[in-house]
Amino acid sequence: MDLTPTLPIPISYVSGRYLLFSIDAVTYLRREHNICGVLIGTLPQIPQQNVFLGLPLELTPEEARLLVDKGVACIVDEAKAQLGMKSLLEEDCRRYLHDLEAQGLGVMRVQSDRKEQQREQTLKKIEAKKAKAKASKASAAAAPADAATTTSTSTTASHKDTPSAVVDLFAADERNTLSPNSRTSSSRTTASQPTMGITPATSYPPLSHPVSSSSSAPLLPAPTVPESYALFAHLHSRGYFLSPGLRFGCQYVAYPGDPLRFHSHFLVVSAEWDQEIDLMDVIIGGRLGTGVKKGFLLGGSEKSIDEVETEAERVDSVRTFSIEWAGM
Amino acid sequence: MPSTQEDPAPPKLSSLSQLISAASASENPLAATTIQILHNLRHQHLWTSLQIHDLPAHINTPKAPGTIPHGSPLDSTTQKNNNILPTSLISGIPPHRVYTHPDEQLYMLEKGLHDDDLRQERLFVIPTAQGQPWSLHRMAAVFDSLAEIRVTDDGAESRTEQSVDPDKASKLAEYYYKKEQVRATGEWGGKRLLLAMVDRGLGGEGTVVYYVVQEGEVKPRQN
Repeated sequence: MDLTPTLPIPISYVSGRYLLFSIDAVTYLRREHNICGVLIGTLPQIPQQNVFLGLPLELTPEEARLLVDKGVACIVDEAKAQLGMKSLLEEDCRRYLHDLEAQGLGVMRVQSDRKEQQREQTLKKIEAKKAKAKASKASAAAAPADAATTTSTSTTASHKDTPSAVVDLFAADERNTLSPNSRTSSSRTTASQPTMGITPATSYPPLSHPVSSSSSAPLLPAPTVPESYALFAHLHSRGYFLSPGLRFGCQYVAYPGDPLRFHSHFLVVSAEWDQEIDLMDVIIGGRLGTGVKKGFLLGGSEKSIDEVETEAERVDSVRTFSIEWAGM
Repeated sequence: MPSTQEDPAPPKLSSLSQLISAASASENPLAATTIQILHNLRHQHLWTSLQIHDLPAHINTPKAPGTIPHGSPLDSTTQKNNNILPTSLISGIPPHRVYTHPDEQLYMLEKGLHDDDLRQERLFVIPTAQGQPWSLHRMAAVFDSLAEIRVTDDGAESRTEQSVDPDKASKLAEYYYKKEQVRATGEWGGKRLLLAMVDRGLGGEGTVVYYVVQEGEVKPRQN
């Protein structure tokens, strides 16, 4: 699934947040640009179930700015972008809804096909078992003992029971289609079944792509970022994945690779070049980092955000210091 | 009625206080911190061949003209803060290795070398006191000045290794060669300093804490 979405990716700006609604964009940014963001979508009815969250993905201003600076993404004012909905022709609306229905039907068909396949496999397995049992029965019958026949009948009886049990496991909702040659009837039930409801996450099949020239939505300027952006960009350019650091009591947590595969290396705190730092904060950070097997990374740019001319200069003007407890 | 006894004589100064008052006749208030930390290193951590290095004066001057736009508000604060930069560093040789980079450790493990097999290296220490103002600028200035510091070699470092078996000797040679190579790439960490901070809280009970500070992103040890 190496889908590359249309670049630049539109980042939706909604009431002060930078959000991504397209799963293709989310996976692409994570895979190619080391940007993870934070999933914030819950089920609308049960928002307290927040262990596993889904779309949309919220980006920090730093992440959004970095992507805009790289030319990978742009910021779209989502409220204005949605205005185009009103001017859609009725004809287009109907066609779009029809499309969705067709898609739902397609998904349904794929699903029932899979179910069918599974059942066939199970049935085949059962047939094979039966054949084996028969063979053993034949060999048992060859033996001249009377007692052997009684046991073999009992085994066939038990085998007669199993097929229904196994099929029930895989097609619990199609109890009545038990016999192996009922394929025609099952395909008929599929056709009459309701189509799968498709809820698109983005609104630009009906609308034009927000970045295309025909769209009327204006692009917003690059997000304003805190002074720590220089350090963020510096670490990102070194291949680190950065995530918000509240959990560890710092600004960013830096991972040497995808956070799903690696433990983080650093608790990152940014400071301005001449900003006064309490030495106690350095000790606190160093001690905390060592306590959780990470380094404490203090860094900042020699130049302020607006002083640099190019992104390369911004990244180069950053100096960082890793601090660990010396153990003495 | 209280007896009109004479006040007892004030207690004698501690040997550390005597050392500080004897050694730091200078007007620099940070000199006392330096001596206190040197004392701690020598007597508590048993470091040897300790030296005090004066940092070159120019790191105390503001950045070269041009890097700061004129009239920038930073200009005045920089100048104000700069006179409290640490003016000296301490260097010495610890009895045991203080820091081993994780990759270096792996290499040593592969070669079957122990910390004690290697010759001890001179380590630099920044003496600071709790509450002393600090900034990234100061930290960077100290690191930049490291290159200019000359260590007067008293022969402690170049002491020859005790007679070891030739196998180990060749491994050691390999290790030192590798170490020289990675010095350029920074694979085993960049410049390294110890940050020493003296406790000044509650009247200063004199605890000194030490933290390893390295330039750049150096992955943490697997303690």
